[in-house]
Amino acid sequence: MRILMVGLSHRTAQLALRERTAVGGDALPGMLDQLRSAGEQVEAVILSTCNRTELYVARPPHGQPDGDALRSLLSGHCGLPLEQLSAVTIERQQEQAALHLFRVCGGLDSMVLGETQILGQVKRAYEAAANHGSVGPVLHRLFQDAIKAGKRLRHQTGIGEGRLSIGSVALDLARQVFDRFDDKTLLALGAGEMMKVALTHFRRENPQRVCIVNRTADRALELVERLHLGEARAMADLDGLLVEADVLLTCTGSTEPVLTAERMKQAVKRRRRRPLLVLDLGVPRDVEQTSASLANVYLYNLDDLQSVVAASMQSRRGELEACEHHLAQAVALSMTAIQQRDVGRLVKQLRGRFHEMGNAELQRTLRLIAAEMGSSDADAINRVIEQHTTRLINKILHLPLSRMRQPESDAPLAFYAAALRRLFDLDESEDDASPEDQA
Amino acid sequence: MHETILSVVLAVLAFLAAVASVLALRRLFKPDRAPDSQRTLIVLVLIISLGAAIGFVYRWIHVGQWQPLKAHLDGLLLLSTLLGATILFILSRRRLFGLSAFGLPILTVFLAWGICAAQWSYRPFQMATLHPVWSSLHLVGVYLGTLGAMVAAGAGAMYLFVESRLKRKTDLSAMGRMASLEALEHVIVRSATLGFVLLTLGLVSGVVVIVEQQAMPVDGFYWKMGIAVAAWIVYALLMNVRYTASFRGRRAAWLSIVGLLLLVIVYAVVISIQVPGGAG
Repeated sequence: MRILMVGLSHRTAQLALRERTAVGGDALPGMLDQLRSAGEQVEAVILSTCNRTELYVARPPHGQPDGDALRSLLSGHCGLPLEQLSAVTIERQQEQAALHLFRVCGGLDSMVLGETQILGQVKRAYEAAANHGSVGPVLHRLFQDAIKAGKRLRHQTGIGEGRLSIGSVALDLARQVFDRFDDKTLLALGAGEMMKVALTHFRRENPQRVCIVNRTADRALELVERLHLGEARAMADLDGLLVEADVLLTCTGSTEPVLTAERMKQAVKRRRRRPLLVLDLGVPRDVEQTSASLANVYLYNLDDLQSVVAASMQSRRGELEACEHHLAQAVALSMTAIQQRDVGRLVKQLRGRFHEMGNAELQRTLRLIAAEMGSSDADAINRVIEQHTTRLINKILHLPLSRMRQPESDAPLAFYAAALRRLFDLDESEDDASPEDQA
Repeated sequence: MHETILSVVLAVLAFLAAVASVLALRRLFKPDRAPDSQRTLIVLVLIISLGAAIGFVYRWIHVGQWQPLKAHLDGLLLLSTLLGATILFILSRRRLFGLSAFGLPILTVFLAWGICAAQWSYRPFQMATLHPVWSSLHLVGVYLGTLGAMVAAGAGAMYLFVESRLKRKTDLSAMGRMASLEALEHVIVRSATLGFVLLTLGLVSGVVVIVEQQAMPVDGFYWKMGIAVAAWIVYALLMNVRYTASFRGRRAAWLSIVGLLLLVIVYAVVISIQVPGGAG
């Protein structure tokens, strides 16, 4: 079987194109059916996320669909001219197609290096195809191995370590100061988009109380309603809230610091040495920098958070080489297993074909012997000749089949397999176990 | 002969504890991604705890009768066993990551101290002259209270370390690997509370033993009592005034370290003074 991948991703296509080519849940069964009907013995999985649309197909070596057929299918689906689509799609075959899938699962092909969301998306794409009955033993093995390799990669290397968004870094810093948030008060100063993102992260920790303060009270109220979180408070309450809060998030857009060092000092005096984590996400900064020297105040601005993001990114990039090495090994193992399975089926077919030919000749010879010698000695001679034929066939096949089974063989197995199928006219359509049997 | 064998065993254990300390400190600053160093640490601490426990039992067998805690060496072996078990627990808790790096050096010091106690200050208590209940209460209170103090001091040291990194914004990307300030403060307060209760028990029963024996105080006795009371006051402060403004966070962490230092001084005084027939 040959593995083929045609698709586009954030690396090759703009968002508008990716949106058009996306295969939604409604269109998926139809597309899978079209792929399966494009040739005999076709297995297909469609991976469609916001960053990529990729068609994975396994089919007999000389069968359909080929790359052009897959592009045509995609073109028909999204309504884009084939030429325009061809310019943004990539095509990978066999090991390269497998390696691409493994890299996708490992997050190496993602927009955010090492992100984990893609692993779930691949799994769901595979399950959807399997439920639809378009996954056979080849893609089953390939996807299972790729998903396993993706998980292992994140466990064995640092590719998934460190936070890559300001919101998650802010939350990590908060966790470094506080063990739990269900008894804490969170004060948000500002009600813009950045604040919304930051509050979305903190919301998961179920803070006991969230107060949103904004110069325009309506915007604070609007954010409260949008997030279904906390309460809107007036700017006049700010000093009192500074004493009560455990975590202060600021992002006001003010050109002057809203919280001067003196104002912070007054609040800290009344806090009775309770720690205060201040995450200043505003540009320009909302909290005067000298406040960082106050006891029990932990002040971080956007630069500090971004430096953490940059360090995580750097660390992940440092892991790339190790990841590529791990994946190359995993792909080799997976492809060998797939080819071995293919060879096993071929060996069975080849033996069957030789024994079929041997039996035909045996019957002819036996008829001649019976005609020459009569039936008295025929039974004994039959047995001898039958054994002779079987031994001869086995001996003829022994050496070539042994070499076929050796994974270290210089020539690619697929080449031998294709040659044998062509030379002995072996049928490719005969199939064996289902994916469930293989699992 | 027996003390020499024990000294050799203690030397090996102290060496292993030093290796584990280095490993734990290395993990704190440059954490390995492979779980191997975690497993190595667990195995090392397990060997140390079991070794100290076996040493403790060996001394019982050597003495030939059921008289545990006959000398400071026994106490140090018991403390090492218990501290080792506590570190094993810490190693299994993700949120207390890094605390072992502060507990293991203390364990190393106690094992090294055990070698000194076995070689140079081995002086069994004269148990026959002591009231068995009060002296047992005294020893158990003092040793287990010290264990609480050690854990509190380890957590205090780590609190100062984490707090300093947070303030200086050093290696913020690696901060998620360490315990939070709040979690460390809880460990300090709980361990100090346990230590305080047990040390109070040790102090009161120690006074009862002295009164019962009607022994004349010897040179240095008042020093010992004075410093023991000072250590007790530190823990009393740590426990009782933590709700007031002045004894939270850094101050609580420093107090836990000062408390342990005072206890160490008490033990040093105990070893150096002669107490005829006393429990030391």
